[in-house]
Amino acid sequence: MTVLILKTVFLITAINGALAVLLVIAERFFANYGECRIRINDQKELTVNGGISLLSALSSQKIFLPSACGGRGTCAYCKCQVQEGAGPLLPTEEPLLSPEEINKQVRLACQVKVKQDLSIRIPEELFAIQQFETVVEQMADLTYDIKRVRLKLIDPNAIQFKAGQYVQLVSQPYGKVRESVQRAYSIASPTYENGIVELMIRLVPEGICTTWVHEVLQEGDHVQIIGPMGDFEMHEGEGEIIMVAGGSGMAPMVSLLSDMLKDPPKRKATYFFGAVTKRDIFFLDEMAEFEKRIPNFNFVPALSDPQPDDDWDGETGLITVPLGNYLSTIKTENAQGYLCGSPGMIHACVNVMKENGISGENIFFDPFG
Amino acid sequence: MKLTPQEKTMLDLFKPGTVSKDGFLGQDSRHVHDIVEADLRSLVRLGLDQNDVADRLSHFIEAGKKGLETTVDLGDFTVQVQWQRGLILCPFGDKRRLPKLMATVCNKKLDQCIRYSQLNVHMIREHGFFEGEGSPFRLNPAALVHLLDIQPTLNKEE
Repeated sequence: MTVLILKTVFLITAINGALAVLLVIAERFFANYGECRIRINDQKELTVNGGISLLSALSSQKIFLPSACGGRGTCAYCKCQVQEGAGPLLPTEEPLLSPEEINKQVRLACQVKVKQDLSIRIPEELFAIQQFETVVEQMADLTYDIKRVRLKLIDPNAIQFKAGQYVQLVSQPYGKVRESVQRAYSIASPTYENGIVELMIRLVPEGICTTWVHEVLQEGDHVQIIGPMGDFEMHEGEGEIIMVAGGSGMAPMVSLLSDMLKDPPKRKATYFFGAVTKRDIFFLDEMAEFEKRIPNFNFVPALSDPQPDDDWDGETGLITVPLGNYLSTIKTENAQGYLCGSPGMIHACVNVMKENGISGENIFFDPFG
Repeated sequence: MKLTPQEKTMLDLFKPGTVSKDGFLGQDSRHVHDIVEADLRSLVRLGLDQNDVADRLSHFIEAGKKGLETTVDLGDFTVQVQWQRGLILCPFGDKRRLPKLMATVCNKKLDQCIRYSQLNVHMIREHGFFEGEGSPFRLNPAALVHLLDIQPTLNKEE
């Protein structure tokens, strides 16, 4: 009886083993897509190994599409036009694409698998996106929950970017976090200091990347960034520049203001900074310096809930209040609005700007939300 | 318990470091379905369902959003909402991405506060999931009902 049981167990094990080997062989032969060609903008051609996502295939060839979710199909930043070879639209892509995009064959590069030759179109500026090896040169607390991180670029050792653009910071595994993730942060440093990148990073409760920055990252650590990305930048114009940003949203504003130091605008610029209490305000000295050195620039900080020991004699109320009051006193016909910060603040301030006559076409912000 | 490949992929998203730093299950060793079932049973005992809870949580979030991170006084309650840039994925595999929005609601009479996210509201409404015991954003249904004074929705269809 025992022998019979052992024989049966052996037989089942052997069959299972044989099936497993067959599956591996089948995968190797049937799921092996071999070398596939990706033709980009009818100009450039890459040869990649099939079977991986289009996003991974492109990044393996040093072409980086924006992606903030690490290829999970959630951020929808990696949209690109796939003219041939992508196969049918996937259910994972459909909710993230508009009918117009679907008509134009726009797909999510992280969801499209390279199984045959592809023909794609991507904006030319994406070719300028690079992966940088950097070292953390300096870290400092700006507030209790915002850190300033200064990265020295090693390879490549210089970055060309426009003030207002962002980079993606690649975190490393730590604690229970076993995978690296990528998150987008606006560049705070001036464009003319092209050997460094400064970021302002606010701690998000339970956030994988921000917790890594705040609790794990140290000066001297090596870090990867990918960029520059984004089209938030200063636009030509005649009307007044109205900037609104709170918290770490100050980062791109500092970069824009640094550019203004070198090339002062002929028009007036006013920056409204919203915070709750005095402990949420930072960079006051730096802003005072910008006021001194940029003609017609004013910095207007406002506290929505000043505490008795804040000793605050500046503007009070939600940032929408001083913004609305100010806009009602100026000509807004050609004014331009530049915003960065929480989606709630942006939404509220865009409404105030529009109510006061700033055209929607002249209001600019990064749609990170 | 044996899991289908789809369930296995989904459960990976509940683990620490995938969608959020500490995941959604805490030290709870129960299957997600068992956690959901137990919490929904405790709601039924209180004469409520998951929509009653989600509606109340949404009410505070909407009121708090108007404060642009400043605490809003609602009489017996105060609410403060922090809205960070970016979106967070629902771990249930429904591909929903929720704003990174965190509300802190305080009951003045009880002198107690509770913190929850927009993702909590979505997971409660759509999946009946209050997170596992020990998870940083676990919401105990009975405590939540007590603290937020949640009442059954009137005119509920039978």
